Amino acid sequence: MNESVVAQMVVSGALMGLVYALIAYGFQLTYATSKSINFGQGELVMVSAFICLTFTDLGLPYGIMVPLGLLSGSLLGLFVERAGVRLALEQKSEGWILLTIIIGLLFFSASENIWGRDDRPFPTPIPSDAIQLIGISVTPVEISVAVGVFFIMGMIELFKRKTLLGKAFEAVSADRDAAELMGISATRTVMLSYALSGMVAALAGILVAPITTVGPTMASALVLKAFSVAVVAGLDSGFGVVVIGLFLGALESLTSYYVGSGWREAPGLILLILALAVRPTGVFGKAVIRKV
Amino acid sequence: MKKALIMTLLVGMVATQACAADVIKIAITGPFTGGSAPMGASMRDGAKLAIAEINAAGGINIGGKMMKFDVTERDDEAKNERGALIAQELASMQDLSGIIGSVNTGVVLAGDKHFQEKGITKIITPAAGSASMTQWSKAGVKDLSIFRFAAHDGIQAAMVVEEAINRKLLKVALFYDSTNYGVSGRDDMLDQIKKQGDKLQVVATEKFNIGDKDMTAQLLRAKNSGAQAILIWGIGPELAAIANGMAKIGIKAPLIGGWPLSMSNFLDNAGKNGNGTMMPQTFIEEPITPKAKAFIQGYHKTYKVTRIPSPVSAAQGYDAVYIFAAAVKQAQSIDTHKIKEALEDLKEPVKGVIATWQKPYSKWDPANFDTHEAFRRDQAVMGMVKDGHVVFANDADRQRLIKSATAVKGKKAK
Amino acid sequence: MLKRLVLILGAEALLLAVLAAIPITVNNSFVLGLLTLLMIYGILLIGLDITVGYLGQVNLAQAAFLGLGAYTAALTVTRFGCGMPTALIAATAVGCLFGGILSFPALRLEGPQFALSTLSFMALTTTALNEWESLTGGAQGLQVPRPPLFGAVLQAKGFYWLCLLLLVFVWIAMRNLLSSQWGRAFEALRDSPIATDAMGIGTLRNKAAAFTLGSGLGGLAGGLYAFNFQYLQPQVFVYDLMVILLLGVVLGGRKSLWGAFLGATIIVLLPNLLSNRLLFQIFSGTGFLLALAAGIRGLAKKSTRPFQAVAPVVAMGMLVVGGIFTANTEDWRKAIFALMLFAVMVGLPEGLMGFAASFLTHLFRIAPPPLAEPSALDAVLVKKETDDRPLLELHDLKHYFGGVRAVDGVSLTVRSGRIHGLIGPNGSGKSTLVNVISGLYAPTSGEILLNGKPLVKGSLFKVAHRGLSRTFQNLQLFSELSALDNVMVAMKGIYRSPLPLVLLGLTRGNEKCAQADALALLEMVGLRDDCRVPAKDLPYGAQRFLEIARALARRPDLLILDEPAAGLAQPDVIRLLEIIRRIHERGITIILIEHHMAVVNELCDIVTVLDYGKIIAEGKPEEVKRHPKVIVAYLGSTVESIDQKKYPGQVNAVPVPV
Repeated sequence: MNESVVAQMVVSGALMGLVYALIAYGFQLTYATSKSINFGQGELVMVSAFICLTFTDLGLPYGIMVPLGLLSGSLLGLFVERAGVRLALEQKSEGWILLTIIIGLLFFSASENIWGRDDRPFPTPIPSDAIQLIGISVTPVEISVAVGVFFIMGMIELFKRKTLLGKAFEAVSADRDAAELMGISATRTVMLSYALSGMVAALAGILVAPITTVGPTMASALVLKAFSVAVVAGLDSGFGVVVIGLFLGALESLTSYYVGSGWREAPGLILLILALAVRPTGVFGKAVIRKV
Repeated sequence: MKKALIMTLLVGMVATQACAADVIKIAITGPFTGGSAPMGASMRDGAKLAIAEINAAGGINIGGKMMKFDVTERDDEAKNERGALIAQELASMQDLSGIIGSVNTGVVLAGDKHFQEKGITKIITPAAGSASMTQWSKAGVKDLSIFRFAAHDGIQAAMVVEEAINRKLLKVALFYDSTNYGVSGRDDMLDQIKKQGDKLQVVATEKFNIGDKDMTAQLLRAKNSGAQAILIWGIGPELAAIANGMAKIGIKAPLIGGWPLSMSNFLDNAGKNGNGTMMPQTFIEEPITPKAKAFIQGYHKTYKVTRIPSPVSAAQGYDAVYIFAAAVKQAQSIDTHKIKEALEDLKEPVKGVIATWQKPYSKWDPANFDTHEAFRRDQAVMGMVKDGHVVFANDADRQRLIKSATAVKGKKAK
Repeated sequence: MLKRLVLILGAEALLLAVLAAIPITVNNSFVLGLLTLLMIYGILLIGLDITVGYLGQVNLAQAAFLGLGAYTAALTVTRFGCGMPTALIAATAVGCLFGGILSFPALRLEGPQFALSTLSFMALTTTALNEWESLTGGAQGLQVPRPPLFGAVLQAKGFYWLCLLLLVFVWIAMRNLLSSQWGRAFEALRDSPIATDAMGIGTLRNKAAAFTLGSGLGGLAGGLYAFNFQYLQPQVFVYDLMVILLLGVVLGGRKSLWGAFLGATIIVLLPNLLSNRLLFQIFSGTGFLLALAAGIRGLAKKSTRPFQAVAPVVAMGMLVVGGIFTANTEDWRKAIFALMLFAVMVGLPEGLMGFAASFLTHLFRIAPPPLAEPSALDAVLVKKETDDRPLLELHDLKHYFGGVRAVDGVSLTVRSGRIHGLIGPNGSGKSTLVNVISGLYAPTSGEILLNGKPLVKGSLFKVAHRGLSRTFQNLQLFSELSALDNVMVAMKGIYRSPLPLVLLGLTRGNEKCAQADALALLEMVGLRDDCRVPAKDLPYGAQRFLEIARALARRPDLLILDEPAAGLAQPDVIRLLEIIRRIHERGITIILIEHHMAVVNELCDIVTVLDYGKIIAEGKPEEVKRHPKVIVAYLGSTVESIDQKKYPGQVNAVPVPV
């Protein structure tokens, strides 16, 4: 076993794993408030990236494009909540699973027709020429992914702890009914969580697009891994997704080096099924007491 | 629901009856949506450009009557199941003169048997997978109505291997995507390496999946095994991920592979990392001949683009229509069987944008599938990526094509 | 009755006749190809409907079972040269096998987790099919000849008839199964897995059975798929196909064979529909008008939420507008599908067929099938002799939630034939104690004996089979099922019908008996007239009584009633007293948890008082009531100092502080 190879594989895998973690974090935000997740999250990542690309084509500088992109991500998140989730939550049904899949399909098809089916490069001011860090090649774009992921997760966690709105968010997550009795609107909090989740998806799109290029299918593989990360980590642990994301990314990378690149997805999937079978609430999740 | 079924049937029947007799009905199939769409759509648009030209000139004179082409388009979504159903649909259509299309070898394998069963003429373009034609050789079919108008993988693989040998390379890594196209390309390359005297040592055989973005593992293995070149067979944007990955971990070896390396999504996404990449081409988007100039301008104008998404597909679609039209004219019939017979023995040369085609096909011989293949080694040239465009890798090819555009080019005897 | 039979069977027979006759009259290979695919998808979707409709879980693995079945059939033919029957049986068996295996990890999961685990399984299957080149040919695909069936190779027509025949078999078998105890159990699982377990129906084995069966049908469809297309590639059986399948089931209508068939029809015909623009415009226009009419009607009758009325209209409106302005509707196929589905999901949650069924029932005034005459109550609940021996014994039972000692060393004896009251202030551990006894929680330590033998710990299912039955403080009814079905789910005895007999429809006699018995129980709690009403639509009091009737269907020795009077109005409380007395008369021992002191006073022979997880008093109701510790526990002080002033004259029915 060659150590520098292992190090290289672990680092490039783990950096990719952070993107899974970021998308998985988007699942957690909505799961916390509403016990629902957007199965079309990958399409949000993709549509946001396309919107950002359009802004860039219009000549907007990167510094303006990013906030606008995040804003459109939030709006898309709100749309998903309104059209796909709210009714099902009111009826206490699991209709949201199918409805979010359907909305994802709609976004996908619309993007195919609006922006075309081809993959396109995503301009970024961050250079993509590799630099050597202790014998490992990384590109500044990859480093920007890591920085962006930790920055946004840190900001949202701060927001939840330090602001009044954030505390309402935490209250609804902890006990929806009790929060409602205290005069916190659960519906609005769920909206907020979907907006935040959409924003996170948009950021994931902006960060990852220079690496993956922008196309209708850019996020379909990413989101499957993000599902694994979210579930293995537990749908309520922000710390967990980062750990599991890094781990899974590195594991995938090593699998594809030592077992065969066709099998790179297998460990994640097996891990997911096993984790669900052994610990349905995830490695870092809280156990739930069944009440009757 | 039954109503819907009946309506579909009724409308179908009415449609077929209404336009019988005074038009030449042909169908264009291919993936117009999804990942292979750039090829499918370019092929379709190229073909429709040719049809528009023929129709604008009044159509084809058949027995004193000018007949125009009437096109039915079917999107097979690159899905075998859709492809098979579409083939069944087209095969049961009344008065269909022929079919042009198919990008994905899997779709060809799933669908073409329905055409062959009814003896309906089909020209496959741009699907290049070898199995599309070898399946009929293997089955020992005596009479075949399927033709191909594309440089099949056998030719392309030969050129790729040849290129590596010419550069005096010894160790190569084979990369291929996990689709039918990629895997059969891998086999063709291995086959050609053996045929050309085992001068290359394959030090790594690496696979990647559609949608993979991170190729570090495969590239590192190739690098560590000392590969001097990467020979690659793949369809989509993953090719660009390989080129970018090579730059990232500092592999300087040349990238040589199948013709999809000329597609816009590779050129755009690989950017400067794509420079120097080489691939066999049947058509290069350079207005080197008047015919090519007219075609490129026509395409750009009609479809409001500045670059053809897949020039090879577009040009092949275009030429395939002209060859088909020539067969219709010679047969003096819209009967698909007669057109097939005319295709197997085209008397007049057909001026196309890729070349002037003289007797592209001959009577089917199961022992030699080249009888239904239009392309030979000398119709393909090596292209090279230069600053986001594909140019001639060897200027000799360029000069040869310019020259042959004026003189009628003969076909290599088998 | 006759009308019902004629109309329903008539519709099925007519459909069958039309489908069987088409190849004779229409000689068009395309139509035949479509119809064959329709049959295959019909089988596939009926299988998928078992998990999606009856179990109510989003199953994303059916495409994988289609693929597994297809490859199995192909490989048995190409490798072993088997004939078609063997290949199809092998395909079904492999579907069942993998379904069974997957059901184990997936068993414990609900909702999104279940969906994700099946999604992973599908991705894993595709990877394996793609990577295992030596066996499957990998991405190159696999050519499959159509093997002979009893010596003859079927041509297109023959193969179509074979598919039709298999669909008919599947249809009949599934109808038998789903209208039997199995079908009810599947639905019960969807509504309340806890109650299903508590009613002695293993969630485990039912979920596994449902999933295995659905997967087996997927495998069968896969086998047919392989011989239909005669060329297989792994990338066919992926997420895209799965989404389409899932949406087909939902669009057609869940929990309905017709719905599954309709869904299959839509999936198969839609792409062809879209390639004709005029047809599409007519279609979308009709859909828009229907949505508009339904929306206005719903709003006027206030039967739907504004969103449910408006959203489908908007979605269909987008289709109409899009149909006019888009040149190539085929490019937008997925969006069109999505909009249609969205409209149906939101506007018609029951799917097209669910809607059509209720509409047609109304139109033709089809009466529901007649019911059996109720059995005599004595035959259902045989009077038992009671002998006052200890029935249930608890020894030093403890249950901690982390640091919280919810039950902290309870030792208790419940004697046969008694009504044993269990009271205590909120949070005193009554419900936890009952949950431990009935097997919902495994105790931290301690011993439970029933009839002198140790009781299995931590399994509702196994405890239920020892003759213990319970109701729930927070109602756990099977809310979508009718009152009658709720009771029938729990009926002991009919569950043992062997599966093959059920599939053949030979167990109807059992069903009738069970129905008669269930009606007797419903009559006892006064719900016989409401027996067809879905449980969720019953008034609150009736739901409480229904839970009792359901618990009695287990014919228990020991019945635990967890706060049956909670939230009941006074007339209902009187009825409850009456019902409990009648149960007691039959010799059934009862543990009664209650806040309502009047009820406790009226009924209980003996009362145990819990506080902070410990027993603080035990005795006859009037003794316990005066026990100083009890008064302190309830009121936080002595009764003399507070009670007489604050609640004069209410000592007998101590109002429980909340």
